[in-house]
Amino acid sequence: MDKPQDSHSVAPPIPSANGDDADLCSRFLGLYPITGASISVIDEAGNHSTICASDDTAAKLEEMQFDVGEGPHWEALHTGRPALVPNLQSGDTSAWPIFSEAVRQTEIGAVFAFPLNMGAVTIGVVDLYCSSSGNLSTSALSTALSLARSVTLPAARLAIRSAHAEAASTTTGTAPELRRVVHQATGMILVQLNVNATEAFLVLRAHAFSSGRTVHDVAQDVVARRLDFGATAV
Amino acid sequence: MSETSRESRVSAAFVKLADTLIADYDVVDLLDTLLLECTQILDCEAGGLLLVDAVGQLQVVASTNEEADFVEFMQVGAGSGPCIDCFTTGKAVTVADIDESGNQWPEFRTAALQKGFRSVLATPMRLRGEVLGTMNLFSTFIGPMNPRDAAIAQALTDVATIGILQERNIRETGIVAEQLQRALDSRILIEQAKGVISQTASVGIDEAFVLLRSYARRHNLSLRSVAESVANRSIDIGIVQPATSERQA
Repeated sequence: MDKPQDSHSVAPPIPSANGDDADLCSRFLGLYPITGASISVIDEAGNHSTICASDDTAAKLEEMQFDVGEGPHWEALHTGRPALVPNLQSGDTSAWPIFSEAVRQTEIGAVFAFPLNMGAVTIGVVDLYCSSSGNLSTSALSTALSLARSVTLPAARLAIRSAHAEAASTTTGTAPELRRVVHQATGMILVQLNVNATEAFLVLRAHAFSSGRTVHDVAQDVVARRLDFGATAV
Repeated sequence: MSETSRESRVSAAFVKLADTLIADYDVVDLLDTLLLECTQILDCEAGGLLLVDAVGQLQVVASTNEEADFVEFMQVGAGSGPCIDCFTTGKAVTVADIDESGNQWPEFRTAALQKGFRSVLATPMRLRGEVLGTMNLFSTFIGPMNPRDAAIAQALTDVATIGILQERNIRETGIVAEQLQRALDSRILIEQAKGVISQTASVGIDEAFVLLRSYARRHNLSLRSVAESVANRSIDIGIVQPATSERQA
């Protein structure tokens, strides 16, 4: 097994406004020993859409996990915590038999999946892979976590706008779709439906999408108690 | 405020901030303390603290008043107003009479006057040439901020800014971005928790925050950790009534 070195990892920059989506993936590439990265978000229908992949293998890794419905990507998504698999070719992969079988056909040695958490809501996952196997060093792990945090907000904006013509905010100040009221509504809905925060956020977005309104508008109705998901059959 | 009581207030504020830094603290709690102390010492009616997020936008992280319209008002100032000017220049901005500010920030001017605010002091949170955010104090009285007051606000803000860096791994570059990110994420958790409490306890969003904060203080926990437990439903503040909840140290 390759011994990971404690290399100088790239510091997470405060990204410039309007950085393009590809940039979200590329910032992980300076992190040793990462070979490639892909980021996906969950749209309002609960589907996963890839917003960037640094190379074909990264794209394939993600697609494979979508196809088989298992793997570190899903674990990170469901637990809200990183799923670290330092040795895919020969380690214990009994948790994901189908995924492990598929990944053995590739050059991938290790996969590290990090959830993109917006408060209690998981809005997507970043999947990192290495061509050789081996653990992440403590400092690489902490840098990866912090990079994942730095892409969460831009990714959340993309997630919300991915399928819906949510008016792009060009003004300064908080984008309307991520204002406080949206998070407050998420908290109210999770109680109304007795679901977790991720599911509540999905319900909020799905409702906005199906009624042709913005997430911000629907959230305002929820907080003003004009709309109660518990009271209506959704 | 008399000179002596004022002096002692200022010293007490420094001690309080220092105390916040010694314990296992959360950035949001630190900034909340900073803002409340400065608002009182400088005899202001309201205040808000904004930090820059990952895409360069200013976000309200702490405010003396949690009402939605006040927070919205702060965001207006973050778009065009003394807050954003202070942030871009890295210098304190004081507006002695908002009414007289003319067409400099028309939207901000209207919103401020509507709320009864007549003057404002915006203080930058600076760190090695970088500006991380601004603290904005609003007064219902006209008049320039006394330079000594402005210096006190800046000094307290500097202490808090240094505090942001005091957590572990100070050597690591990128820690500032990381800390800001964490603070903003704490704020999101707090908003989600406010929603949960508002729904379970059938109270308004503002009152939900009061319940959340008093629970955190009573149990000596950070706002973030309480908010997290509320948002994932491992504690229920809506059912635990303030008077009867002294269950844990």
